[in-house]
Formats: sequence, C-alpha cells, structure tokens
Amino acid sequence: MRLKLNVPKAKGHSDVATCVIWSSADSVLSCGDDHTILKWDLLTGESSLACKLGSDVYPTHVSQVPGQSKGGRNSSNLFAVTSSDGKFHFFSDGGRVEKSVEAHTGAVLCGKWSYDGSAYITAGEDGQIKIWSRSGMLRSTLSQLSCCIYSVAWSPESDQVLYTYGKELVIKPLQPSGKLVKWKAHDGIVLNTDWNPVNNLILSGGEDCKYKIWDSYGRLLFSSTAQDYPITSIAWSPSGELFAVGSFNSIRLCDKAGWCHSLEKSSTGSMANIAWSNDSTQVATACSDGNVMFAHCVEKHLEWCEYEVTLVSRKSVEVHNVVNDAHEALELKDRVIKLSLAFNYLIVITSSQCHIYSTDNFNTPSIFELRQGNVSFIMQAEKHFLLADSSGIHVYSYDGRHLCNPKIPSSSNTLVLNSRTLALSPDVLAVKDNKDDCAVLLFDALSGKPLGDGRPVVHKLEIIEVHLSQCGSLSDRFLTLVDKNHDVYLASVQKQGGNYSLAKLTSMVQSLSWNTTVNMLCGLSDSNLTIWFYPPALFVDQSILPSTQFQREYPELGKYAEISFYHENTVSVYREDGSLISLAVTPYPAVLHRLVSAGKWHEAVRLCRFAKDGALWGSLAAMSLKDRDLNTAEIAYAAIEEADKVECINEIKNIGSKEVKGAEMALFCGNSLEPEASLLHSGMIYRAIQLNIDLFRWERALDLAVKHKTHVDTVLWFRQIHLQRLHRSETNSKFKKYSQGVNLNWENIQAKIDHDLAA
Amino acid sequence: MTAEDTLADSGLHFDDLNKLRVLEPENAQQTGELKEECQEFVGKIAEFQKMVGSFISITNDLAQEVEKEKMKAIGSRNMLRSIAKQRESEQKQLQALIAEKKNQLERLRVQQQALEKQEVEQNEFIDQFSTT
Repeated sequence: MRLKLNVPKAKGHSDVATCVIWSSADSVLSCGDDHTILKWDLLTGESSLACKLGSDVYPTHVSQVPGQSKGGRNSSNLFAVTSSDGKFHFFSDGGRVEKSVEAHTGAVLCGKWSYDGSAYITAGEDGQIKIWSRSGMLRSTLSQLSCCIYSVAWSPESDQVLYTYGKELVIKPLQPSGKLVKWKAHDGIVLNTDWNPVNNLILSGGEDCKYKIWDSYGRLLFSSTAQDYPITSIAWSPSGELFAVGSFNSIRLCDKAGWCHSLEKSSTGSMANIAWSNDSTQVATACSDGNVMFAHCVEKHLEWCEYEVTLVSRKSVEVHNVVNDAHEALELKDRVIKLSLAFNYLIVITSSQCHIYSTDNFNTPSIFELRQGNVSFIMQAEKHFLLADSSGIHVYSYDGRHLCNPKIPSSSNTLVLNSRTLALSPDVLAVKDNKDDCAVLLFDALSGKPLGDGRPVVHKLEIIEVHLSQCGSLSDRFLTLVDKNHDVYLASVQKQGGNYSLAKLTSMVQSLSWNTTVNMLCGLSDSNLTIWFYPPALFVDQSILPSTQFQREYPELGKYAEISFYHENTVSVYREDGSLISLAVTPYPAVLHRLVSAGKWHEAVRLCRFAKDGALWGSLAAMSLKDRDLNTAEIAYAAIEEADKVECINEIKNIGSKEVKGAEMALFCGNSLEPEASLLHSGMIYRAIQLNIDLFRWERALDLAVKHKTHVDTVLWFRQIHLQRLHRSETNSKFKKYSQGVNLNWENIQAKIDHDLAA
Repeated sequence: MTAEDTLADSGLHFDDLNKLRVLEPENAQQTGELKEECQEFVGKIAEFQKMVGSFISITNDLAQEVEKEKMKAIGSRNMLRSIAKQRESEQKQLQALIAEKKNQLERLRVQQQALEKQEVEQNEFIDQFSTT
C-alpha cells in the first residue's frame, strides 16, 4: 500500500499552513499564518476563503466536534481553532465565530474535542492543560506544569488525557484519585502524540527524529529508526489500521504494527499537521510552504486462495487469478473505500455503493446502495457478510439482500466497533458489550435477534478479542475470548444447564484465529504456533487437551507476529516487520474432521494409523468420546497410551443400562453434577449415593440417603472405613447425629447394595 | 599742473581718440584683453566639463555593467553551491526511498522464502504418498 500525493493547483495560504481538518468526506478546512481559513473542495480541487481571522490571530490547531456528521455531507459542523494569542475560537460551519475565549497566557498549542463531543481540552505554552465545556466554560485545570505542552490526546473512553511533557509522555485520568502514568518516551522533545480509540494504541513523534508506538500502559511496542528530520506531525487513521507520519518534505504511511508501507517525498516543506478522512482512505496535510497537500491510499493488496486483488487507483480494482493467470479489471463509479476478499467473494465498498463480486464471475456484481456512506469495516462469513458503520452493524447475504441489523446497546453516543471485538459465523454473531467490558453479546446472524434468552456471556476479566468457529452446525459453534491477560477461554454458544460454561484453553496468546474450513483453532505466542485440532476436547476430556494440539516453534516469526488468516492447511502470519509468512500445517486433522462429521469412524481410525501422529489420535479420542463411540475411543486412548482411560471405557462399555452408561460417560468427561441428576431422575438412588461416596462428597451422599430414606447405613459404613484408613475420628456433626444408635452391619448393607444393583 | 593731471585726479582720462574715459586707457585695454581671455577660458572649461560629463556617464555605465556582472557571478556561484546542496538533499531523499524499497524487498523475500519452504514441505508430503 502507498500514498498517492496530490498538491492542488489552487492557491494555498500565503504563509505557513498550520492545521487541517476534514469537514466532510470531500471537503477540508485549513488554517494558516496568513490569518485565513480556507475551504478545499476535493471534487473540484478548488479552494475558497471560509473565514478571515484578525490580523493578530495565528491559528495553531483545529479540531472538529465529532459524531455530528451523520450522513457526511452538508451537515452543520462546529469546529474550534486555537491561536497563538492565548485564545480559542468556536466556529460554526459557515465560518462564523461563535465564541472566543481567553484560555492561556502565551500561545495555545493544541486543542482537541473529546470523542463524545462534550468536552474540549486545550494545552498551552504556559504548561497548563484546561478542560472546557461544549459552550466554552472552563470546567477544570487538569495540570500546571513547568514546560510547554505541545500535544494532548483523549483516551478512547474520554476519561483520561495523554499529553507531552518535555521528553516524557503522561497519561492523566480526569478523576483526581486516578493514578498518573508517566514515562520517558523520546531522547528529544516529544512534539506530537495521538491515541487511537479503536486499537487503544498511542503514537508519539519527537525531535529525536523517531516515531514510537505504545500501549495504554506506556509499554513500548515499536520504535522507528532515526529519520533524517524531526517528526513534525503524526496521526492515526480512524480505523486504527494505519498511521501517517509527517516530517520535512516527506510523509510516511505505516501499519499499526509500526512497519512502513511507503515513504513519499514532496517539496512542500515540513508537514505541520496531518488529518485523516473518516473513511481512513485519504489524508490532508498542512505544509509549511502554505500548500495543503492531499493523499489517498492506493495499491492495497489482498489475497485469498488463488486470487490476488489490488486497488490500482481510486476507482479501479485489479483481480489476478494466480492459477490460470487471468486478469480482471474492475472499474467503479466512485472512490473505493473498503475492500474485502474471503470465502470466494470480493466486496468493494465505494463512497455510496456496495459491490459484491463472486470469484466465479466478476462481470455481474450484486450492487446495492449503502444506507450510510461511512463503512468502518467489513467482516465476511461463509454465507453472509457484515458491514459496520457509525450507526451499527448490518448483515447482508452475498446476493446483496439485507438480512438484519442487530441492535447493539451502546454505552455513550459513540459506538466503538472493531474487528477484534466482533465475530461473525454462519449462524451466530458475537459482539463485545459496549457497556460491560467483560461481557459478550450473542445474536442470531440471520435474524439479528439475541441468541437464546439474550443474556451475555460473562467473563471475569476485560475481554479484548472475540472469535467464533466458522464451520458445522450450531452445536459446533464455539466462542473464543481473549482477555486482558491474553488468556484464551472457550465456550459453546449453546447454554449448558442455563449458563454459558467458559473454560480456559490456554494462556499468553498474542494472536488467535479459527480455521475457515474446519473447526480448528490456531494461536501464536511469541514465535510458538499452537494448533488445537479439536478445541471442544476441553469440554469432553480436559486432560487429553494437551495431546490434541500441535505445537511448533518458528524462530523466523520473531516476537510480535500476528495471524492474518488460517485457511485450509495454511496459516498466514504477519511478522513484526510486515512480511507475510505462510506456514504449512498437516492436512490430516482436516481430513479427520470430515471423516468424523460423516460418521466414518473406521476410516478415521485408519487415517490415524497411517499418519502415526499422537495429536491426531488425541483428537480422535476426544471426538469419539463426544459422539459416544466407545470402540473408537478405546482404540484412540490405547494409541496415546492412556491405559487407565482404556480400562474405564472398557468398564463403561460393559454397563447394560442406558442411563447408567450415560452417567458414567458424563462422569468420565469430568462432569459430576449432570450424572447425579440423571441418575436421581431415573430413580437410581443407590447409584447416585455411591457416586457421591466415590467422589468423597460425604455430606451430599448423606443428605441424599436421608432424603430418600435409604442407604443411610451404607453411607455411614463407607465413611467409617474412610476415617479408619486415615486414622481420624468423626468431626462432622451431621454424621455424628445419624451414626448415633445405628448398628452398622456389613452383610445387611451388602445385601441391600446387591439388591439395588440388580434392579 | 596740466589740465590732464587735473582730470586724472578727478578720475577722468582721454584716450587716443580724445574720448572721455573713466579708466586709464591701458587698464581699459588690459581689462578688455582679460575679458576675452576669460571668455575663452570659460569656453574651454565648458568643453572640459562636457568631456568629463561624458566620461563620467561612460564610467557609470561601466560600473553598472560591472555590478550586474558581479551580481550574476555571485548568483551563479550561490546557485552552484545550492545545487550541490540540492543534489545532496535529493540524494538523501532518493536514499530514503531506496531504503524503503529495500525494506519492501526484504519483506517480499521473506514471504517468498516462506512460500518456497511450504512448497518443499508439500512436495515431501506428496512424495510420502508416492513411496508408500
């Protein structure tokens, strides 16, 4: 991907241009030291005078109230300009000054609206940071420091503020009781910072000619090499996928991991300010020679199976089929905003329409008009896809039919959706709850209605990523959550016993992906790739889970690699430096999955014998156990040398009664509550009691016996033996109470047991 | 004392043509000569001035010419210097671009390497079938 630069022929500012902002999808406002605000129309490339400022007003920064521009065009926007005379000015869209407020002594260097548009923050040469209300009333003075503050940024929730302090960066919560985070960021003065609301990462650029990426705890994720000139401006794209770095005569387009997509040179002097358009495809920069330069992203490249798709220019897309070397050129009416290629469909979003191309036929796309121009991302599943915009999410089928619009409750008036906190599968849609960071909401992907009773899956820690398995029926649908500690939890989307059962799969995973064709999961921690051939093994036999996974270290992956996709037998991984590495994984598990889902156990066993792979046997064991195919399970467990389990399975196999067999199976799978309930339900009181005795749940056993008025003596007898073996005396008052006056006779008990077992 | 002397005392003289004069004839004659000489001198001076004037204007023209040439020389000297600088910055820019392309090349090389490795693995996998 690269930026295509365009310096308009229209006259710019006669002095240094200091700041720019996008007022809509096609127009930009720029301020300059010639005391003017110019409005640029991108369609015609013309500039017009929007406002003339006083001759003593030198604008320093401009910020627009967010979340107003519904529909994008011709909305009434409020923007604020800070100036070097210590004031800030609120402007209406027409360029009329609504209000000027005396804010700082010395110049105001930066002013930004919070994401909800309710607060405005200014920082000045006097070292003060002040927060103002929408109407321009002073709310509070956040800090008073000894040196000037060059840049401030709001946190995604607008409850913290990031600012530069000399060579340091500081995160200060608005709550006075909150803890201050402060760290040395650069060797020179930090000139610029930005904090992205989508990926929650912080960017900084300094006089030491470096740009760096930090997480919200101040940990360094990326540091560039020293450039030729100081970094004068830096800006995240709203989608959080890219960022732009401005310096003297150059602008850089970088990936969120830090590596550089492209470097473009111009002769317009230093880039004083960079602004991204809302759709993250275009950039406007204020240059020190007075020009305003525009750039848009081209040459975005996508791959899926044998297809390669490239955005050649603003309005044309090229498709290359690698297998037969066929080229297709797709011309579109409008500017392309988003591209997505998966599951044999190419989706192209332009500024007004959505085009869906099947890879079988690129000539006749399904086209529909977008409800809202501003699509923030596309997510595809096998049968349908999802478009997210500021109003919510819409699910469409591949023939362009609108399927549903799930109602997602939002905490504030801004809806933060991104591809990490949202997952789409053929039947279920999972979205992280905006109100509660620890909850995930599930929806039916086709109807948009909440799944089941609509209660969320609740975890005890903050969730950062949500994934769904992609294949099979609803009973094969599993939700994986990655929490703040990077632990991975697995849950079936179907409730068990009225609750979602979350089970921990593994810990310390930095990237996770489900296979698109088979329900396998792969995770990456450092340079270790782990593939879980059968993740539901966690619910079948937790102890066997380690032997259903494949683990291998790939030193070439480096530290911060990220899985791009896991399709068929290939895992594609983005390395820290941006190179795409594809790793081949064994094709057997996929074959095994297919055989098992078709019920071909014999073939499955033969496959495992042929492949001679422990992980494959382990997976087969778990699969057969899940489907209660005991013969296969016995073979599989024997193959991975789990003698105790083979023994146990043998025993279960010999049980005649269906209920007891079921209960024993459930017990084997580590589930102790369900078998007891099912045994009681089918009237097998003694077995239920014996089950509790076997599990050393003495009180429960006694309670059951007392409740059903049978086998009290049995429980007491076994308890006595148990205590004798441990050389302990009875301490439990309940047992003391019931053992009084009871004569324990083993022969009687034995007879009763034999009678019950025979029944 | 003659009448002439008396007249001379009162400042009157007679010349040779017996006209009455207030100056002594000799003086008058010398004065006349002086006047002529002066006129001649003035004429010569005027001519000189004219010549000097033209000389000055020629010199001025020359000075201007020289100044112009001098500025030109300085300008071209500066230009030469700035071109060197410009070249240097252009070179720097190109080097930065080259470095970027190199990074890109490296990325692609790594990708190719990974793909080749995958190909080898897949071939091995296929061979496994053909041998068994």
